[in-house]
Amino acid sequence: MSDAYNPRIVGFLCNWCAYTGADLAGVSRARVSSSLHAIRVMCSGRIDPLYVIMAYLKGADGVMGMGCHPGDCHYLKGNYNARRRFVMLESIFKTLGLDGKRIGLWWVSASEGKRFAQVTNEFTELMKTKGPNPFREEMFI
Amino acid sequence: MTPHQERTGPGAVPAQAAFLPAPEGTKKAVTDFLKTLMDQGGLDALLVPVEVPDTPFHAWVMVKKSEVLDKAHPLPPVMSVQGGRALSSLTKHGTPWLHIAAVMRPCEARAAVELAKLKQVRLDNVVLITIDCPGALPLAEYVADPEKGQERYKTVADTWHENEFLRPACARCHRFSLTGLEDGPSEGPAPDDAPASVDIHIGLLGEDQNGILLLPVTPSGAEILKKTGLEADRPTAGWESRVRDLLKKKKEKRQAAHEEFRKDITGLDRFLTVFDPCINCHNCMNVCPVCYCQQCYFDTQTQFCTSSVYMDRARKRGALRFPPDPLLFHLGRMSHMVLSCVSCGACEDACPVSIPVGKVFSWVADETQPAFGYSAGTDRGDPLPLQNFLKEEFCEIETPSACGQAQSTEVKENA
Ligand code: SF4
Ligand code: SF4
Ligand code: SF4
Ligand code: FES
Repeated sequence: MSDAYNPRIVGFLCNWCAYTGADLAGVSRARVSSSLHAIRVMCSGRIDPLYVIMAYLKGADGVMGMGCHPGDCHYLKGNYNARRRFVMLESIFKTLGLDGKRIGLWWVSASEGKRFAQVTNEFTELMKTKGPNPFREEMFI
Repeated sequence: MTPHQERTGPGAVPAQAAFLPAPEGTKKAVTDFLKTLMDQGGLDALLVPVEVPDTPFHAWVMVKKSEVLDKAHPLPPVMSVQGGRALSSLTKHGTPWLHIAAVMRPCEARAAVELAKLKQVRLDNVVLITIDCPGALPLAEYVADPEKGQERYKTVADTWHENEFLRPACARCHRFSLTGLEDGPSEGPAPDDAPASVDIHIGLLGEDQNGILLLPVTPSGAEILKKTGLEADRPTAGWESRVRDLLKKKKEKRQAAHEEFRKDITGLDRFLTVFDPCINCHNCMNVCPVCYCQQCYFDTQTQFCTSSVYMDRARKRGALRFPPDPLLFHLGRMSHMVLSCVSCGACEDACPVSIPVGKVFSWVADETQPAFGYSAGTDRGDPLPLQNFLKEEFCEIETPSACGQAQSTEVKENA
């Protein structure tokens, strides 16, 4: 069952780092989980917490935010802002009894193609063990 | 441990306050004080709820005239428009050129402070005055029978929060007095340099019930009080200990309510049940003082997909509710403003189907604001959590951790 089940993961990838890193992963023929649906954002600081919630409620099994390593953001502080937003999101999830482990934040630079593949695959495996997001089947949301 | 900024803490509680006798009851004394303020305080006008003639309702009015002030009082039986919102509509587009004082309930002043940080209120030329608040009645019940409401409200001020008629938000409100008191150390004075949120506070819970206390919280508040000729010569210790006693009880009540609610609501199914009756009217958002966006995403067409997307989604799920995504509205709104929620209850007061919106939001706010060492509206000097950061903090949320070397090896070992 777990082999057949392929989670759907939405990733918000910063244009300047993770998105380029994803490209590099492709060019260097690293195996990247096909679960990831990548959405390019101009900076991790542009990941409106609403996007994360939207992806989650619409049935994404996991949501990944990816940005430049601290100190490397092209807009200087976008990733620090993103970090606080994810802290807030996790607290909201935790309080309401939703699964906060289905969302996360990673720093992946443009040269870390391998690491991009690795963290994506690891997260996919984790989501496989969790099974489908219960909201996926919900009709009344 | 996550490093947080040092909390600057609440404003110091002034050791002494002015006393105004209330031979005809505190309500009259408060109104008298407002008139004195207007006449001698060096202010140009007041923003305060005023009784609308021949109706049981109050409206926010900017007023100068003494005879209108006769009908003014910061504690009307219901909270129809949240005071933070009223002050925002007045000052959003520029510093008032008149020197005004806004007299409001504590939760309204907290909203005003949040709005000032969001650049929706200007406090530059505004004196904020709050008052010990016994709570308000549910809006819908009051509108249905104002006479009964007025009778009930008379008992509210005598019972101080032990009243069955209070709105739920007020029944578990622990921020009914001088802002900052509830978050500060429970004993001993707050540091002198701690910034305050309000300038003057009107104490109704003093030992001497034959009068009201006027606490000069900030230097500008003290100056205004001085101009009115009221001498700040009464010790506030008795008032403070009464407030703290009540505070303690209310805090316990609040925590118990949260705990009970947690059992009711956590988990997908039960969580959905709470919002199920929602009719999508967006009242809760429209009345919320800190939901200030000019164009809310949830009022735009961008949120809607083409019908083929919906058909597809409905097919995959087997069935789908329309209009789509009511829960997204609530959680999305929450993700935008819960760090500024002041637990005023205006949202649930406005909900036509009695969803405990305020209960959900203030509960999540109580759980989330402390993660940032933040308490909405308490401290004018404390930046909004999402407009502020430290380079090394919250390392547990990020991979890899950006915190010091020692810490990141620790994380690795644990993993
Ligand atoms: S929430 Fe607190 S401050 Fe606001 S009206 Fe109720 S008791 Fe007063
Ligand atoms: S969400 Fe409700 S309780 Fe919180 S500030 Fe807005 S209206 Fe007040
Ligand atoms: S006021 Fe009540 S019914 Fe209207 S949108 Fe808010 S929760 Fe739904
Ligand atoms: S530019 Fe990549 S996180 Fe800001």
